[in-house]
Amino acid sequence: MPVVTLYFNRLQKLLGKKTSQKKIISTIPFIGLDIEEQTKDHISVEYSPNRPDYSTDYGIASSLQGLLGIKTGMPKLKIKKGKYSIKVDPSVRKVRPFITSVVAKNGKLANETIRQLIAMQEDLHNGIGRRRKKTSIGIHDLDKIKFPLTYTTVSKDHKFIPLTSSSEMSISEILQKTDVGTKYGNILGNSQKVPIILDSIGNTISFPPIINSNLTTVSKTTRNLLVEITAVDKNAAEDTLAVVTHTLQNAGFSIFSTKISGANNSTPSLNSRRIILEVDLVNKILGLDLSSPTIISSLRKSRLDAKSQGNKIICTIPRYRTDIFGTMDLVEEVALGFGIQNLEPTIPHSVSTGQKNKITKALDSVSAIMVGLGYFEAMNFGLVSKEVQYDLTKRNSSKMISVDDSKSQGHTILRDAILPGLIDALSRNIHETYPQKLFETGVVFSKVSNEIREEIHLACVCAYNSVSFSEVKSILQSVFKTGFGLQCTTQMTSAPMFSEGRTATIIINNKTVGVIGEISKEVIDSFKLRIPVGGFEVKLTGLIFD
Amino acid sequence: MSKVLHPIEHKIIKTLKETPNITHEDLAKNAQLTIDQVRRGIEWLKYKNLVEVHESEVFFASLGENGKKAAEKGLPERRLVNHLTKHKVCTFEDARTVVLEEEFNAAISNARQNGWIEITKGQTSNIITLKDNIKNSSEEELLSILANRTPVSEIKNKSAFESLKKRPNFILLDSIKTTVINLTKQGLDTPITQTKSFTGDAILAIDVEAPAPEVFAARSHPLQDVINEVREIFVSLGFTEISGNLTQSSFWNFDALFTPQDHPAREMQDTFYLKNASTNKVATPNQIAKVSESHKKGWHYNWKLEEAKRIVLRTHTTCVTIRHLADNNPDEARIFSVGRVFRNEKVSYKHLVEFNQVEGVVVGKNVTLRDLMGLQREFYYKMGLKKVKFWPTFFPYTEPSLQSMVYNEKLDKWVELFGMGIFRPEVTKSLGIKNPVLAWGGGIERIAMLKFALGDVRELYNNNLGWLRSIPKCP
Repeated sequence: MPVVTLYFNRLQKLLGKKTSQKKIISTIPFIGLDIEEQTKDHISVEYSPNRPDYSTDYGIASSLQGLLGIKTGMPKLKIKKGKYSIKVDPSVRKVRPFITSVVAKNGKLANETIRQLIAMQEDLHNGIGRRRKKTSIGIHDLDKIKFPLTYTTVSKDHKFIPLTSSSEMSISEILQKTDVGTKYGNILGNSQKVPIILDSIGNTISFPPIINSNLTTVSKTTRNLLVEITAVDKNAAEDTLAVVTHTLQNAGFSIFSTKISGANNSTPSLNSRRIILEVDLVNKILGLDLSSPTIISSLRKSRLDAKSQGNKIICTIPRYRTDIFGTMDLVEEVALGFGIQNLEPTIPHSVSTGQKNKITKALDSVSAIMVGLGYFEAMNFGLVSKEVQYDLTKRNSSKMISVDDSKSQGHTILRDAILPGLIDALSRNIHETYPQKLFETGVVFSKVSNEIREEIHLACVCAYNSVSFSEVKSILQSVFKTGFGLQCTTQMTSAPMFSEGRTATIIINNKTVGVIGEISKEVIDSFKLRIPVGGFEVKLTGLIFD
Repeated sequence: MSKVLHPIEHKIIKTLKETPNITHEDLAKNAQLTIDQVRRGIEWLKYKNLVEVHESEVFFASLGENGKKAAEKGLPERRLVNHLTKHKVCTFEDARTVVLEEEFNAAISNARQNGWIEITKGQTSNIITLKDNIKNSSEEELLSILANRTPVSEIKNKSAFESLKKRPNFILLDSIKTTVINLTKQGLDTPITQTKSFTGDAILAIDVEAPAPEVFAARSHPLQDVINEVREIFVSLGFTEISGNLTQSSFWNFDALFTPQDHPAREMQDTFYLKNASTNKVATPNQIAKVSESHKKGWHYNWKLEEAKRIVLRTHTTCVTIRHLADNNPDEARIFSVGRVFRNEKVSYKHLVEFNQVEGVVVGKNVTLRDLMGLQREFYYKMGLKKVKFWPTFFPYTEPSLQSMVYNEKLDKWVELFGMGIFRPEVTKSLGIKNPVLAWGGGIERIAMLKFALGDVRELYNNNLGWLRSIPKCP
């Protein structure tokens, strides 16, 4: 989850009312932020990507103001009509069809402000922007730009000086040689034409979603900004624009509209929405009996506007609150504004009696019997390594089930048997005293055509100098006789992992349900065990439960 | 300290009373014990101050090169005398022919001392005359004894020994260090306690205070114990257990829970997708249509069935709960589910790729957020966690959503535990669920780590017998 750094002195200024550090720290969790780190002059908080407005200290301060009662109600966005325009060429349809924009003027960019804005841009790229694929943001020095702009496409030999560079590069070079080019270039696919924003005298402003032009670099002395957002989804573009615009307004900029036209694009409105909330719903869900005025004041503390109309409340939601889908989201806003700490837990009445499911009960019995027979319960993973499951055990891997792109080498395939893991466990305990007896129950996987089948198995191993086939067979018989009144027989077979002449299939109710035997010398050696091992594995699914 | 002796100790004391001052080897032989038992027993008895062990050096004498020659051919004085028995009298010159020049003086001198000969002055040289009654000298006797290596302490005639020692290369000395064991005064006074066996035979009392060999009681896995404890609590709160597959279609793991198909959590870097696996029938046509509609309306994108068919290792147990609710559509229910879930993460001391999660759900016409908090508090109370607080948080499929924190006394801090919320209408409505659904859950390993004071979550899956054999069942 993304993290924001909050400097106390800045935050206190933004709150606009003297608020102690202690008060800030104790309030932060109640607007849904987790404190990650705390030092003398700042805290780092983690926020959920569903609240992109929390990507700067401006957005967080706005929320804190509400909960602390410093400022309540919806922060209003004031957009003045600007004389700026962007024309969209139809050629962008195939690569990146949408653009939206505003202009922000007469602001001041302190170092920390620039840092916050860059962090916001990064978080929005990764969140709403889906790593720039869905939307990407460009922020430029307005005064370097000659309007109107054109959003169009160019071929890959088009040249300009990209951000942080001092010389011209072609699009191809940018895609091949720069970090951002190699990282995000694949978003544009195989398209021969790439999106570009040009100004009226032909200067390149931006090559979205990859890099801005060096011409419009924002610095500490920049006072006026152009924000442009390109996207594959118009709605997502305006969501992103709303967050950026609110943030810039909070940072002291005056906002002006940019006229957008052409190829299904239009000037963004960034208007607020209305949702009607029933008082009953709020009280039913929260288990409270709140009056309309209390609900309204709670919503206002959550920085929304609300007014009463009979038994209903009309809520106004600012455009940047993209996390609000419907009434239930407003119920939560009431709860937050009211204060979670003010909700007294209650116990619902119930007449139901609980019970474990059949599988759990059967496995509990298996476990109790195995423990009674002197076996320790082991726990292994279902997602295992090929090395243990097939290579060291000399088993056939042709029906192996793999997962895509595992980050851990030890977890790349689904197990089809439990015994390999138990033998591996023995190999990691060679310094412990013998006899060693382990059992495990758990899910194993197989594939029938393309569908995955899951079954529960029981397996055990017994390792010490005089372990024998008949000892593990005694255990096998005992588990099924004591546990489930089942008789089992064994029939000579040969099987991977086991010694020839010391292996048998297990037959219960005339069905082959498993294998038992002494582990072969070859397998013992490959696990570097220096002691004989006996064991068995039985399929329980279909035998003692379905 | 125990006054009752171990059987080994008894045997040692009994033997030492009969034969004091003996070596370990002799003690073992006499007491019919192995040398290891003797060593162990001596250590115990030394500790109890009942025996003492002395280390001593024993010197041995045996014959050197000249000594062996003398033993075979006789001492020079004997050879002289043997010559005289044939001639009775001889001159010095004559005698020099039977005794080597360098031995001559010693032979004459010793024979005279032994009283075997008399020396008189002749005309040209001295004359030796043999006496009567010639006995073996004490040196000769000693010489025959020393043919076998003999402890110096056993040699009685010290002057003969000194005399032989003076002769070059006659005597070899060597030594051996030995330990001998003796009873202390207290040991001598120790009575042998006897008692009667159930057959009535006299048997020795034993040291009931001595440590016994360790045996290990087999047990269920500590993590399984925690899982079982959680299960018991849910059952005691009136919840019925449900279960489901670990492999699930994306439909139930994500789509049914209103997680858009381009959501970062669905990417391969967080979720395990199975290679070459899919399912033909993910859900009923109605369920598919409604979920698809809900996505289009809420997230404004083109929902794809193909994507929903991809098989994942479930990332939470909620897929099992939601499917149960969608298929059974109960008006009232208390159900829970516990089992393995998977996240494509790098394994570390705090992250596993596969872990256990529990989830409880309450469906009811009049259930509320406060009820959810109350059930939570009740659950923790039964787990022994008495202080609980709640914070708002975000989950994609619940609204409102809360996070619970519990106070851990051992660590003296608040620890984040289960998350909770009420299923979003976007989730429940599309699946035909009419009443509110309270849901909460979280990882079980975290609780187990607190319970067993583990700093590394991987220890729960190491199957380390040393740990499994030593960790208390009820810590």
